[in-house]
Amino acid sequence: MVEEIVRNLKKDFRVEFRNRSALNLAVAFAGITTLAISLATGGVPFPANIQSVVLWIIMFFCAMNGLAHIFVREEEERTSLFLSLNSSHESIFLSKLIFNVIFFLVLQMIVCPLYIFFLQLQIKSPAVFILTILSGGICISAGTTILGAMVSKAGGRGSLFTIISFPVLLPVLWVAIATTTRSLEDEGYSNYGNIIFFLAFSGVIIAISFLLFRYVWVEE
Amino acid sequence: MEEKKYTIRIEAVSKRFNRQHLFRDISFTLGTGTSLSLTGPNGSGKSTLMQIIAGIQSPTRGTVAYSCNGSEIPKNEFFRHMGFISPVLNPYDELTGYENIIFSAGKKRSEEEINGLLEKFQLYEHRDKSLRFYSSGMKQRLKYILAVINDPPVLFFDEPGTNLDRSGKDILYSHIESIRPGKILFMATNEKEESSLCMEEYRIG
Repeated sequence: MVEEIVRNLKKDFRVEFRNRSALNLAVAFAGITTLAISLATGGVPFPANIQSVVLWIIMFFCAMNGLAHIFVREEEERTSLFLSLNSSHESIFLSKLIFNVIFFLVLQMIVCPLYIFFLQLQIKSPAVFILTILSGGICISAGTTILGAMVSKAGGRGSLFTIISFPVLLPVLWVAIATTTRSLEDEGYSNYGNIIFFLAFSGVIIAISFLLFRYVWVEE
Repeated sequence: MEEKKYTIRIEAVSKRFNRQHLFRDISFTLGTGTSLSLTGPNGSGKSTLMQIIAGIQSPTRGTVAYSCNGSEIPKNEFFRHMGFISPVLNPYDELTGYENIIFSAGKKRSEEEINGLLEKFQLYEHRDKSLRFYSSGMKQRLKYILAVINDPPVLFFDEPGTNLDRSGKDILYSHIESIRPGKILFMATNEKEESSLCMEEYRIG
């Protein structure tokens, strides 16, 4: 199975690298939104809670723009049967999950520095801030992978992906916004309980998705 | 080493779309060494029946069971035992012909075997081209290579000669004849030439 996952990942990265539409779209969305917010405020700094709400809204919609395409593309280009004939459903799910996690972490590495620069964020607890961004990102990618597979089988409707993702990701966004706010406000804030929540949430979502993926992907 | 004998048992298979039956109560058995062509008019359900037998679609009623030397093969594992060509199967356009073959074969086939097949089907000089730049005939040749590269014991070919020129068809048919013994070959076609490659014919519709 490991060999199949590596083979699928190589294939997905090659296809993504040669047709960068999803990454370009997500980066353009992130850049334009951040710039627009910065221009709209005219350089006046927001309170910490508004800054973290806006940051996670941008990240949520970046995920909505980019994370479903890995499955939707297989259906749109009618390659899903070729993929299924050559890989087990377990390895398909795990390779797409790993791809989404890496894809979203790359997006975050672009979005966060832009956001910090344009909105002049003062981060009081950098360690908690970075861990929240990373673990929250893993949560979002883990949650949206199975939803992306469901949307691709439902005809790849973009808005459907956002609608069904929001309730699943709401607890993550809620906790992520609260933790990010504390990391911006409180110097020396070192409560890692929420980071553990993100990792536990990701673990549960991945386990459930792994067990249910077959019923989404394979026509019975 | 014991020779593997595969059996596919199709029992009372029916397919219905909405209230319209495409076909009803089709039953037959395919075993290693048999080759069957499925013929019938357009819309009679040849491709659908082939996809049902291959485990890609589910029948409305009836069952398809797979076994090897008497032991049952679960439906979700049967894909590993078959090669499949169909208009609904597309390799990756963003990858080259060679990358698609490596994706399908993994490390199971040597460079010489892959190059041998590419040369046989006159694709060797195009092996590093993206599939976006392949003609439809070249894509069809590549689909055939992808179906047979792992030397599967069961072959499902849905109109394998589509888009091929005369020389492409000649190469394809001679290759099918050379690999047919010791396999199950199931072919959906309306071409007499293709149908004659199989020992038996089943007419639908």
